[in-house]
Amino acid sequence: MKNPLALIGSLLAQAALWIAAFISVFPFYWMIVGATNTANDITSGKASFGTHLVENTTKFFTTIDAPRVFGNSFLVSILGTILTLAVTSLAGYGFEIFRSRTRDQIFAGLLLLLSIPFAALIVPLFMMFSRAGLMNTYAGIMLPGIAAIFMIFYFRQNTKSFPHELRDAALLDGLKEWQIFLYIYIPVMRSTYAAAMIIVFMTSWNAYLWPLMVVQTNEMKTITLQLASLASAYTPDYGLIMIANVLATLPTVLVFFLLQRRFVEGMLGSVK
Amino acid sequence: MSGLTLKGLRKAYGAAQVIKGVDLEILPEEFVVFVGPSGCGKSTLLRMIAGLESISGGDLFIGGRRVNDVDASQRGIAMVFQSYALYPHMTVRENMGFALKFAGASKTEITAKVDAAAAILGLGALMDRKPRDLSGGQRQRVAIGRAIVREPQVFLFDEPLSNLDAELRVHMRIEIARLHQDLKATIIYVTHDQIEAMTLADKIVVLREGRVEQTGSPLKLYDDPDNIFVAGFIGSPKMNFLSARVQGGRLVLPELADQSLPLPALQQALPEGAQVTLGLRPDVFKRGGSASLSLTIEIVEQLGGETFAYARVGGSAQIMTIAVEDGRALRPGQALVASFDPARALLFDTDGQRLR
Repeated sequence: MKNPLALIGSLLAQAALWIAAFISVFPFYWMIVGATNTANDITSGKASFGTHLVENTTKFFTTIDAPRVFGNSFLVSILGTILTLAVTSLAGYGFEIFRSRTRDQIFAGLLLLLSIPFAALIVPLFMMFSRAGLMNTYAGIMLPGIAAIFMIFYFRQNTKSFPHELRDAALLDGLKEWQIFLYIYIPVMRSTYAAAMIIVFMTSWNAYLWPLMVVQTNEMKTITLQLASLASAYTPDYGLIMIANVLATLPTVLVFFLLQRRFVEGMLGSVK
Repeated sequence: MSGLTLKGLRKAYGAAQVIKGVDLEILPEEFVVFVGPSGCGKSTLLRMIAGLESISGGDLFIGGRRVNDVDASQRGIAMVFQSYALYPHMTVRENMGFALKFAGASKTEITAKVDAAAAILGLGALMDRKPRDLSGGQRQRVAIGRAIVREPQVFLFDEPLSNLDAELRVHMRIEIARLHQDLKATIIYVTHDQIEAMTLADKIVVLREGRVEQTGSPLKLYDDPDNIFVAGFIGSPKMNFLSARVQGGRLVLPELADQSLPLPALQQALPEGAQVTLGLRPDVFKRGGSASLSLTIEIVEQLGGETFAYARVGGSAQIMTIAVEDGRALRPGQALVASFDPARALLFDTDGQRLR
């Protein structure tokens, strides 16, 4: 027989884990179930699948300019991700590969900036962008995120595992620094890039606060802004909101599953 | 193949001098080995020749051309690294042809040169594999192949065998020696393993703290070292060093209970009472001779082909390594009279410089 105390302990642990799992999974479940129910069903607490999926979906595509908002979101997320990866990986490479006396001070200064909450930067950023004429533009939505300090830190840390002798060998093979970066560094570090791509894509897809500041017309709205305006309607249609949420979640889920294996490799360190 | 000339070559990182003025002449087709303890600057010197480290002072000539400010890829050199430094995302064939592809060579030319190098090294079956699917020895052969393909004036090897196991190291050592004969290449080879240095080199350059201590053929350095550092660094097991005093035309050894030896013949006369260091290689005891030391054996190492006895006098701290011919019967605790030819003893002054 098992020790009864150990049995009780294990049961308690199981129960705690089940509760935690329920708390994290239930909102997704409810979102999916909600997409198949009417607003009345949802507000009355119905938590089983209904028959209104088609109706909700039709409503979504008739009331919302879906190609426009999804197009905006894809544009700023994909372009923003490419630019962010380019800028932050170049910075991380530079910080790790090139020695200089001030390198570590500059890097420490950058890390210090991480502690400033984004909300504190909104007013100065807003003034900068409006003076630069970047309000209500795609560039305006993307630019503040491109030199993400956390991603610079991430790339520098991962570059520590990039063998310097590969760079030496490439120099002897006649490559210029940018060619080493393009033809050696990027392919060797592809798992690092894949993990970074997931993080950055999700961050820019889900970005809300800054786009809310910059975007001033319906034509420029991203899907997150559209979701927020659905929720703030005078009588919110929860069926519509739920299907909108489901559709808005799909791209990030897709990106994650496509890059999942590389994501794990990248997080564990990419060079073997 | 080209030779190299190093004139007063210096390297400093800020205030720290790493290479302190190296003068060296390397002949075409010569196999030169840089040896020295870690931190002596041998790898830095090699990287300066390669163009991977800038030169702080002095001149570097390759094939008569001053290359101080010439790009690494334009110096006519190829390098083999300790970690192989193969591009992990490319196949063996792509790795070997990469430099040529970048130099704008045609596909047929690349294929021909890569195949020729692969044939020399027996890499034919591995050409489509990635480095991760190769063993350490195979990776090192690919790295050497990558260097051969470039048809360099000078090959540089930076501790190429350090990551291999002992058996493979011996095998690759022979392969590199064979390659040198076949390619008639100028090779500069860095190692801290003095067996590699002794077996491969036409000329050994012993470095210490950024300076050249001595250059010469392996046997010249073994038989006729300029100073106590070179004497101690070259040769395994290490040379025995004993402090000695000149007294009445003989050498008195205070560490061995004042036993004395006839003074080796020198060009200079040593004053009475002069303090010197006596250097005796373990193998001078193999052939016997007119001088002898009375010792007690402490430990015996039987290697099958040869025997080393570690012996001392009474409670003295000085332990001597003695190579013994026919030493299979030796046991710890036995008395040993180690005799040798006094002409083979080396003497060094108090600054460690050789007395001749």
